[in-house]
Amino acid sequence: SPPPPPSLSPDPAVISPQDPTLVIGSSLVATCTVSPDFPLKAEDLYWTLNGRRLPATSYATLGPSTLSVALAHLNGSRQQSGDNLVCHSRDGGILAGSCLYVGLPPEKPVNITCWSKNMKDLTCKWAPGTEGETFLHTNYTLKYKLRWYGRDNTCQEYHTAGPYSCHIPKDLALFTPYEIWVEASNRLGVAVSDVVMLDILDVVTTDPPSDVHVSRVGDLEDQLSVRWSSPTALKDFFFQAKYQIQYRVEDSSEWKVVDDVGNQTSCRLAGLRPGTVYFVQVRCNPFSIYGSKKAGIWSDWSNPTAASTPRSERSAGGCDPKGGEQNTTLRRELKQFFGWVKKHAYGCSNLGIKLYDQWRVWLQKSHKTRNQ
Amino acid sequence: GDSWGIFTFLCAALCNLPALPALNCSEELGAGQSIQQTYDLTRYLEHQLRTLAGTYLNYLGPPFNEPDFNPPRLARAERVPSATVDLDLWRGLTDNARLAANYRAYSRLLCYLRVLDGQVGTAELRHRLAHFCASLQGLVLSIGGVMSSLGYPLPVGPAGPPAPPGAPAAPNDFLKKMDDFWLLKELQTWLWRSAKDFNRLKKKVPPAVVTLRLEARGF
Repeated sequence: SPPPPPSLSPDPAVISPQDPTLVIGSSLVATCTVSPDFPLKAEDLYWTLNGRRLPATSYATLGPSTLSVALAHLNGSRQQSGDNLVCHSRDGGILAGSCLYVGLPPEKPVNITCWSKNMKDLTCKWAPGTEGETFLHTNYTLKYKLRWYGRDNTCQEYHTAGPYSCHIPKDLALFTPYEIWVEASNRLGVAVSDVVMLDILDVVTTDPPSDVHVSRVGDLEDQLSVRWSSPTALKDFFFQAKYQIQYRVEDSSEWKVVDDVGNQTSCRLAGLRPGTVYFVQVRCNPFSIYGSKKAGIWSDWSNPTAASTPRSERSAGGCDPKGGEQNTTLRRELKQFFGWVKKHAYGCSNLGIKLYDQWRVWLQKSHKTRNQ
Repeated sequence: GDSWGIFTFLCAALCNLPALPALNCSEELGAGQSIQQTYDLTRYLEHQLRTLAGTYLNYLGPPFNEPDFNPPRLARAERVPSATVDLDLWRGLTDNARLAANYRAYSRLLCYLRVLDGQVGTAELRHRLAHFCASLQGLVLSIGGVMSSLGYPLPVGPAGPPAPPGAPAAPNDFLKKMDDFWLLKELQTWLWRSAKDFNRLKKKVPPAVVTLRLEARGF
């Protein structure tokens, strides 16, 4: 590699413009002027942009030690730190450089959504404008103010819920709507989103239900009982909770959702597979807080709780009916029924699943004789 | 990967606790283990730096991320302490001088890195930088621990303000990119050199545990 030029205190050359900001598609003429202390002339120089040599046809000599380059129809910057336009001496050494920031002014941020955890704070997310402009670094500022009080406030804690989010941790007022908006700014300008108006009470969410317990329902093979506690943070505020349960089989990724769980804190899941491990989660919506008719925002799901349904019992002995009869729902239900009968109705001990099986065998035989 | 590194970092930090009192050569036992752990920490940082430097140089863009990039080292870049040193000079360093050079260099480098942290654009880079700074802080503490356990005074380093004294901000964005490039290069060189420094120190202050075992067997 070529030896670097000697390092002396004055910079070897000066580029103009130094670190300009430009709109995509614009053109630029840059000049490199060698410092008088350096024995270099214009013909000893060349340009590169992001490491690529620029064609000599775009150069022009403006003076004994000044070389210019013309760049037309600039594309957006290759990196947000700026395109590297460099003036070199013939042997490849770097004399000076200028960072070109080429992009577009920002677009209005959109889709501002907010939620308040237990009415104590406010977190908002938004999306960048349609272009999702990335050539230039864009700074986002979330601002808010109470509707009828003049003072603008600026949110300070960013990226708490993704890259386009901000968290307001305290000093929030209830019963008066807030005006919230997001300003996007980059080197080329500023864009302000539409103002969103909201009442903290309409966007309340809470913690997931605690103490979620899932247990078997006696010997029932296809049921599990789910119990939980209502989240405590909002217990002093008048609200009705709605709950949702989701569950899945251990080795599946498909969740089944039970949607119409009202204000209760227990629920029974039915129609499950016997001898299977299920994962269950519950979440809460502080519906109608302070009597507002609007739904709140669903909490996160509780940590999954696991439980397994009892295995289905195999019939004892060898006189099992043929075929797939053993696993029918009807047979299973009958077995459960007979089990219940044994417990609750003394004197019917002769009734049992074996009797049913014998009846099926008899039924098959009688079919055969009938058809013969 | 990461969990091993965090473990060695924690060990290094914990090594500053007083060494076991019961043994005869208690200070040397503590120092021996500290030196090993400091060595391990420099290797871990070297590994972390490779990823950080790769990401950062890509952020600066070509030619900074080209493998043969060799920009002039302008006078202003001299403020970053250089690891490069004459071989005989390096060999002849006393333990104290060797450790002090490392301690001063990393304290300085940490300051500059922290300034960088406040300025970079992308969230990913800021996150990586913050992680690296934390590890580098651990290294400085670890070296300090070794010096203390060997009875050497800690060098009076920079107080740690964001802009170390005598360091003018780069006059333009391109020169700043060059400064950043040299900062990363110098960090890399220092970590290479430190591994050799601590290897050398390891030989002079072996972990006393080994010698104790030999004595027990009657050698």
